[in-house]
Amino acid sequence: MAGVTNPGPPRRVALTGPTGSLGALLLPRLIADEGVESVLTLGLRAPPPENSGKVSFQTLDLSRPDAEGTLTAALTDGKIDALFHLALLLGPIHDPALAHELEVVGTLQVLSAVSRAQVARLILPSFTMLYGARGEKPAVLPETATLHGCPASRFVTDRVRVEQEVALFAERHPGTLVRVLRFAPVLGRTVDNPATRLLRRAVVPTLLGFDPLWQCLHEEDAGAALHLALRGAKGGPFNIVGRGTLPLSAVIHEAGSQSLPLPTPLARAALRALNGLGVTSVPLNLLDYFRYSWVADGEKARQGLGFTPRYNTREAAASIRGS
Amino acid sequence: MVKSVLGNDPFVRGAALRTEVGQSAPVTSLTSQPVKLQKAPPQASSGHAQDPSTTSGGLMRRPATAKKSGVTPLRAMPPLDPKKPSASGAGMRPPLPLHSREAFRVALKAIRSAFDRETLRAVGLAMGTLLHAPNSRGGKALPDIYGMDSELLARLAPLREFLYAHYWRVSVEGAAHLPSGPALIVANHAGAVPLDGPVLAEAIHRERPELTAARWLLEDQVFHAPFLGTFFNRLGALRACPENAARLLGEGRPVLVFPEGIQAISKPFRDRYQLKRFGRGGFVKIALRTGVPVIPAAILGSEESLPLVGRMPLAALGLPYFPLTPLGPLPLPSKWSIRFGAPLDLGGRGGEAADDIAAVQELTEATRQSIESMLQSMAHSRRSVFAG
Repeated sequence: MAGVTNPGPPRRVALTGPTGSLGALLLPRLIADEGVESVLTLGLRAPPPENSGKVSFQTLDLSRPDAEGTLTAALTDGKIDALFHLALLLGPIHDPALAHELEVVGTLQVLSAVSRAQVARLILPSFTMLYGARGEKPAVLPETATLHGCPASRFVTDRVRVEQEVALFAERHPGTLVRVLRFAPVLGRTVDNPATRLLRRAVVPTLLGFDPLWQCLHEEDAGAALHLALRGAKGGPFNIVGRGTLPLSAVIHEAGSQSLPLPTPLARAALRALNGLGVTSVPLNLLDYFRYSWVADGEKARQGLGFTPRYNTREAAASIRGS
Repeated sequence: MVKSVLGNDPFVRGAALRTEVGQSAPVTSLTSQPVKLQKAPPQASSGHAQDPSTTSGGLMRRPATAKKSGVTPLRAMPPLDPKKPSASGAGMRPPLPLHSREAFRVALKAIRSAFDRETLRAVGLAMGTLLHAPNSRGGKALPDIYGMDSELLARLAPLREFLYAHYWRVSVEGAAHLPSGPALIVANHAGAVPLDGPVLAEAIHRERPELTAARWLLEDQVFHAPFLGTFFNRLGALRACPENAARLLGEGRPVLVFPEGIQAISKPFRDRYQLKRFGRGGFVKIALRTGVPVIPAAILGSEESLPLVGRMPLAALGLPYFPLTPLGPLPLPSKWSIRFGAPLDLGGRGGEAADDIAAVQELTEATRQSIESMLQSMAHSRRSVFAG
């Protein structure tokens, strides 16, 4: 999946999804980056105004079938060197069909536009969650580990599919340097995703007798990693994780919440009942993330991106306390 | 096939030599009185583990067994062969009553240190961790990437000291066989809850403190079980798989493996020290591929610490069974002995031999036999499960 050519330092950068959590973390860094001449943002809503004069906006709806043409034209006209495809969901939404359109079909449109406009670099976010939490996994997962995902979760399955499409694209288009950043749960004051929503609850149910290791990434580190992905020559997936690991119970404690350990059979029964009543729609397999450790190895990002997290997992968890 | 002698084994009265698994249960004579001792005749073939009849047995022997081997029933002396390593001067031991007094003294000392405040606090901490209490509230340290919590281990130090030095009185031989770099240490596996990993790791740490901290690998089933998997993981256990072993060896660590796996810890107590098959020889393949030495290790005493006397089916909790032990979670104070053997001779084979099934099987079996013979000779020189 490594790019064959080393494109020069990118000057004209584009990003989809500027108003999302990751877009909001990356945009100020691109504006402050003197090597970047212009930033073209594409999405449904414009980013908040700023006065650097670098940033332009164009409307793009990736769930529309004509999105590819719009995007290709924008990328070609702007002579874009690097595209951040951040218009991806951070968690499941209520409409799984729309989610599938946006994630899988939307990404396919982006890939096709990138190949037509011959963009030299493409950077996408992903999740270490895609490895899946399983008892049969090695203790530390390298990027080469199989993405087992979480079979019953449509969201995770869609994202595994996205990664497969991207890997295939990278193989067939050696002229484009493709980087996939697999983020550990990103925590911080400004971000909103399933992990922060879980940890901001007053009480977090866990499984009695299981305390798996979690990794958390501080939002500042997530932004820094995205920014670093703009330069360098090594392609492929990168695990982006905070320093160290922490048992889930300690993550919950650091986030200022209380854990409520439930016996596994009870937790499963309760979840099944709640799903049946339509109160929640959490697949039972998601309980695996509360049962088995899923620790990814951040070594490749350190060497290939020069990414060293500033915050450790404990500090990342503590950053959402009181927010 | 004649199976190993277990030394003076109070769990099998008068049945020091067990020829078949099923025969260990019948009790020929139950006597708690010390038996009048006779002087043992000099033994010609002493110290050969393969011939159990010549070595020390229990207080009583089953006449049939003794007759078969052609030796008069005696309280046999420990082997006199000076070449044979023996923990406490073979042949010079005091008669049993005196030994009982010594055992009593040891027990008193153990009880005194058990009620030491530090030990009690460490016990409370261990229980708390086992029962899922957040282990590091307010602490600064993070567990390492594998989940070992060194802060917890430091706080458990009084308990570790108590269990290791006073309760199980672990004695170690052959620690010099451990190389200074990475090594695969292959040991027999036992106990309803496998305590051999932490004890062996502790033994290596105490005997060879200059080595990088050892880690032990455990069968998947332990990590599927509630409480146990998390607790062992915090103490330093990892799931047994080639990736984990290779990674730990790459860090220059001694890695402890128990190739018998779940079979060994789910076997009934009557099958103690009967080594199960050694899996598919994964440890041999790793050794061949990485060139890391294989050190066989025999652990005696682990079987009697947490003997599995029954299995309660517990499918409702997602467990294959719940182990029933004499004192529940409390291990018995059996005396533990650990012996490290000489490194396995790989016969100059390299990484390509890892794909040669015959070679892998041969080396796997050689390791198994080496551990088995060490176990047998250790069991022979043992006079009592609890006093050693």
